[in-house]
Amino acid sequence: MIFQQIITGIIVGASYALIALGLNLIWSITDIPDFSQGGIYVIAAYVSYFAVTLARVPFFLALLAAMAVGSVISFILEKFLYKRWRGSGRIQLLCAIALFFLLSNGAILLWTPKAKIFPAYLQGGIPMFGFVLSFQRIVVLAVSTLLFIIVFLFIQKTKMGKAIRAASQDREVAQVVGINIDSVNSMVFIIGGALSSTASVLISPLYAVFPAMGDLPLLKALVGGFGSVAGVLIGGLGLGLIESLGSVYLSAAYQHGFAFFVLLIALMFFPKGLFGKV
Amino acid sequence: MRIKLKNLIAPAIVVLVLLLIPQLASEYVIYVVVLAMLYAILAGSYDLITGYTGPLTFCHGAFYGLGAYASALLTLKAGFSFWLAFPASGIIVFLFAAIVGYPALRLSGHYFAVTTFFFGHFIYLVLLNTVKLTNGPMGLRDIPAPTSFLGINFHALSASYYLILVFGLLAVVLLFLLVRSGVGKLLVSIRENEELSEAIGVNTAFYKVLAFSISGGVAGLTGSMFAHFFRLLHPTTFAWMTSEMVVIMALVGGMGTLFGPIIGAGIVTLILELMRFAPELRFIIWSVAIILVLIIEPKGLMGIVGRLRVGQGGKR
Repeated sequence: MIFQQIITGIIVGASYALIALGLNLIWSITDIPDFSQGGIYVIAAYVSYFAVTLARVPFFLALLAAMAVGSVISFILEKFLYKRWRGSGRIQLLCAIALFFLLSNGAILLWTPKAKIFPAYLQGGIPMFGFVLSFQRIVVLAVSTLLFIIVFLFIQKTKMGKAIRAASQDREVAQVVGINIDSVNSMVFIIGGALSSTASVLISPLYAVFPAMGDLPLLKALVGGFGSVAGVLIGGLGLGLIESLGSVYLSAAYQHGFAFFVLLIALMFFPKGLFGKV
Repeated sequence: MRIKLKNLIAPAIVVLVLLLIPQLASEYVIYVVVLAMLYAILAGSYDLITGYTGPLTFCHGAFYGLGAYASALLTLKAGFSFWLAFPASGIIVFLFAAIVGYPALRLSGHYFAVTTFFFGHFIYLVLLNTVKLTNGPMGLRDIPAPTSFLGINFHALSASYYLILVFGLLAVVLLFLLVRSGVGKLLVSIRENEELSEAIGVNTAFYKVLAFSISGGVAGLTGSMFAHFFRLLHPTTFAWMTSEMVVIMALVGGMGTLFGPIIGAGIVTLILELMRFAPELRFIIWSVAIILVLIIEPKGLMGIVGRLRVGQGGKR
């Protein structure tokens, strides 16, 4: 039982961490709490759902398609909306909330509020510790780990990654030394869109696809979304674990409320976030 | 503090219209206007913390809900009369906001914003899950109307309408006096440059918690009004959507102007109500409208007003 809860927690936590990684990149560089990622999360789930059920595409192609759609939407939103109000954070915030409403209500209008069941793409699993760890869950862990490593290497090793780190530390100085802030912004939004889409497509087969599915993961990701890549990973996984174990051993009704206490306690001791900036 | 007579014309007209509504309009219109007034007070009090003092918060709906439930439970379970429960709910939420705000406001901008978000969600979960106390998802019913006062019977729709109008006008006037006072100027100095105002001796931590608590307390009083006007409560009324709505209203009106958020709240409520004919299109149309407004005039309604005045050769 406890092992099952731990695995469930890690899997959900991995999805929080994925969204959080993108949100955190966007937030640290553009100062936008990008709520619209919650909408992209929903759209990506539907894209993959229709790709699998209507177009009968293999799951991993559907995942790639959803990632592409997610990054394109994210890129367009930054290019044509957020960019317009650079420097006035309140307006960007208002726009972000409006976009989130627009995308998730668009999903209700197009596809009704009814939950759709994502067909299983892999059957079976590995029996361990008295329960069966399904292959679909293993895929979530594997793909998230892979993406985390890719993003980490990208930020640490490439020239663009260095520019992103520089811009997250000090935007003005980064511009002064010749970093093209426009392309850095576009890049983090593309990465953010791809990561939120991946999180959503990986999780949908385990739960369901419905227009309100983006609300809670988005909020959770904001909690995990602090500091460095390692901080995001620990934050996301930690929150997933606490929720999963807490829902069994403390109270299922407050599962989505634990985040408040975790956040308050963590921030008491680390008021600047867990691990500093990207 | 000098107020020009000319600037009083528009508010006077608004108050006059609000006074006449129960005489002229249908019951449905009265309910809509009451909602608009309640939201206007919420957005105005929200402006005190986020518009004037600076920290972004996302939990105003929770303060609203706490006030509503506190007041309703005090009258239903503890036998308080409305006239005691109403100030009590304001004080309870004020203290609650102070307790949460004291540790949380030490956090820097983004972290504080996220913390308030989760505080709001947590309150919603408490309202939903403490079934013995709040009746959970079934909601609270049969909340008493305010008892008669000075011979006025508040069971009548128009009387309780005027009660909310009077409360709203008082709240707005007091908020206005507050932001115009020395304390208000200190709050603005914190918004403009926190380090600097600390350096010249302003106790920024104290004033931030104070602004947060007053703002929460007014929201709590508004919640109490809501509870005793509509006489039934449901936790979803105070879910995170309400907090977002208040943020949007304040931003639409233009933050840090007090009257902007109040007008913004009125307009947003009326627009949402007018669009009831197309429930599934409602949020789509209005989120598109918000984005279009932002593209045209990023400063919100007060920005448009300012631009019109400049266009007429006036000065801001």
